[in-house]
Amino acid sequence: MKKRPDIKIKNGKKYFFKFTPLQRAQHITIASCVIVLALTGMPLKFHDAAWAQPVYALFGGIKVAPVVHKIAGTVLLLLFVFHLIYIVYSIFADLIIPLKRKKQLRVSTVVKSLVTHPIMPSFKDVKDIIDLLKYLLFFTNKRPGGDKFTWKEKFDYWAPFWGIVIMVSTGLVMWQKEVVTRFLPGEVINLALIAHSDEALLAALFLFIWHFYNVHFSTSVFPMGTVFLTGYLPEHLMVEEHYDYYQKVMKAAGLEDEMLAPDGSPGKVTEKTPGATIEISVSDLPRVS
Amino acid sequence: MIFKPMRKFVLSAGMLFLALIFIMPGSSEAADIGNCLMCHKYPGLSRVDEKGEFRLLFVNESIFNNSVHAKVKCEGCHPDIKKIPHEPAKKVDCLTQCHIIEPASEKKFSHKDVATYLAGSVHAKTEKDGQPKKYSEDIPTCKNCHDNPLYRPLSFFKRVRPGISEAALGRCRVCHKSDEFIYRFYNHVTTRLHKIRNPRNIAETCGRCHDNPEIVARHDLGTRAVFSYGETFHGKAAYFLSERIPDCLDCHVKPGESVHQMLTYKNPNSITHINNKGRICGNMDCHPKATPQMANYKVHTEFNREQSPFEYYFQVFFITLTGGTLLPLMGIMFLDLFRRLFPNAALKRSRKSDEEKT
Repeated sequence: MKKRPDIKIKNGKKYFFKFTPLQRAQHITIASCVIVLALTGMPLKFHDAAWAQPVYALFGGIKVAPVVHKIAGTVLLLLFVFHLIYIVYSIFADLIIPLKRKKQLRVSTVVKSLVTHPIMPSFKDVKDIIDLLKYLLFFTNKRPGGDKFTWKEKFDYWAPFWGIVIMVSTGLVMWQKEVVTRFLPGEVINLALIAHSDEALLAALFLFIWHFYNVHFSTSVFPMGTVFLTGYLPEHLMVEEHYDYYQKVMKAAGLEDEMLAPDGSPGKVTEKTPGATIEISVSDLPRVS
Repeated sequence: MIFKPMRKFVLSAGMLFLALIFIMPGSSEAADIGNCLMCHKYPGLSRVDEKGEFRLLFVNESIFNNSVHAKVKCEGCHPDIKKIPHEPAKKVDCLTQCHIIEPASEKKFSHKDVATYLAGSVHAKTEKDGQPKKYSEDIPTCKNCHDNPLYRPLSFFKRVRPGISEAALGRCRVCHKSDEFIYRFYNHVTTRLHKIRNPRNIAETCGRCHDNPEIVARHDLGTRAVFSYGETFHGKAAYFLSERIPDCLDCHVKPGESVHQMLTYKNPNSITHINNKGRICGNMDCHPKATPQMANYKVHTEFNREQSPFEYYFQVFFITLTGGTLLPLMGIMFLDLFRRLFPNAALKRSRKSDEEKT
């Protein structure tokens, strides 16, 4: 796979690589599915609310909306299956094959590289959360120095991961109830209904409030974060949320002098590359391809 | 300029015309043999009765003529009224033999059989030994569930839609000469081929008693049936006026029987008895591939500790998960919003030299 530049400098502004086109495509698919699923599901959960009928009518009412819901759910299921294959492929391509090349392929090295993978929760996340609370409660004016993926982003990844497992499995139970009740007692339909309905509300509130706040509505990114479209994170957001990783990238790219301070104030040297587009790749950074 | 005799003629002809308009009854009123509509056609006709209840006595003729009782004349249900003006009418007894002739038996029509069926059903007012049931005053009578419903004709010509198919009527007219008969017959038959009420309406009717917590407790009914039905997909679809979704009667009435023959789930002959319940979902029109297991559980129950403890604690787990996840995150979000108002404020400020060291 063609390696994407880690830093792009466009009109003197730096952008840092974050998501590959395939990752962005997966994100847009899941986002579209979740929006459609929420719009065709919530009117059923809150059927007697004033907005339920008009929202449901947008999707064809009781005759069509359940079909739309099932189509979106199926796309989500296929995406999830694709994503699992993608994970396995990535583990092979990015972890196992390089280890094999270095002749270090052992269970311990594979486990170690899996555990230390940037998307895996780590002790640093706990430290970052404590640091964030210190910052938010005015104990310090120093933000936590996030890594490539902050604890918020890991939460945003793993919570929907669990969510999809719950939503898809319980959705399938209710959809294919005739098949499921051949093997399991009818009570599973009640349990599936509870889990599907409650987990959906949790997911919708989590995504449309917490996730949207962090990536779109926070004053640093408002009105819209663009990384989900471009794949590159602007420097000021990199500094604000991922300062530790920012330092690593800048040092590895030899741009130490241009590094901004944690509060965003300029470094020793302000870069002098107006107008030009420069692409910098750094070889020894942990990557998720 | 009109001549005097001519003017006299025009004037008297005009008066005659006006008089005719007032005297001549409307064509629909011609069916009103007792001339009851002479008074009851006025929308404001009402009174406060001896019990202090307001009673609207207006009869909307066009609505009545589209109702299933259109052919029954006023005196068919109100036989106590013999003259006009009349005394306050007695309560309508639905079991009265009316003057309609039932075509199959050619006898006078009556709903008496319904009463016989009802007496053997779960909604009987008496026990098997003839003794009145406990709280028999809660048991519904005809008018607790029924009003005078309108016909709900269907057209099956090329595709099924609500309403009358003129194309189909064209065939009727070949043999049957009375359009009034054709329309009524068409309306009657096609209304009977499906359900006269939509599932939501039926659920609401049953809910008048089955959602009343006092009645539910008095008769040990186990659950607020319509509330718990409303929490299922069936109930929600019914709320959105789906006609395809099962209502109370589709599952609780044995196929081939009438709603008036419903039995308690404890009775082995009841469709909701544990041994028969499995047949409900597998109905050809619903879930033909369903196994008995699909029906053999509490399909609509309130998820509370008394009725379904496992479901209750399962729900508590998800509520805790939701609160446990969202509350801290929302807290952080609001603190973050507040923090952004004072970006540099802090109890302990780290200096730039410290940052460089880190």
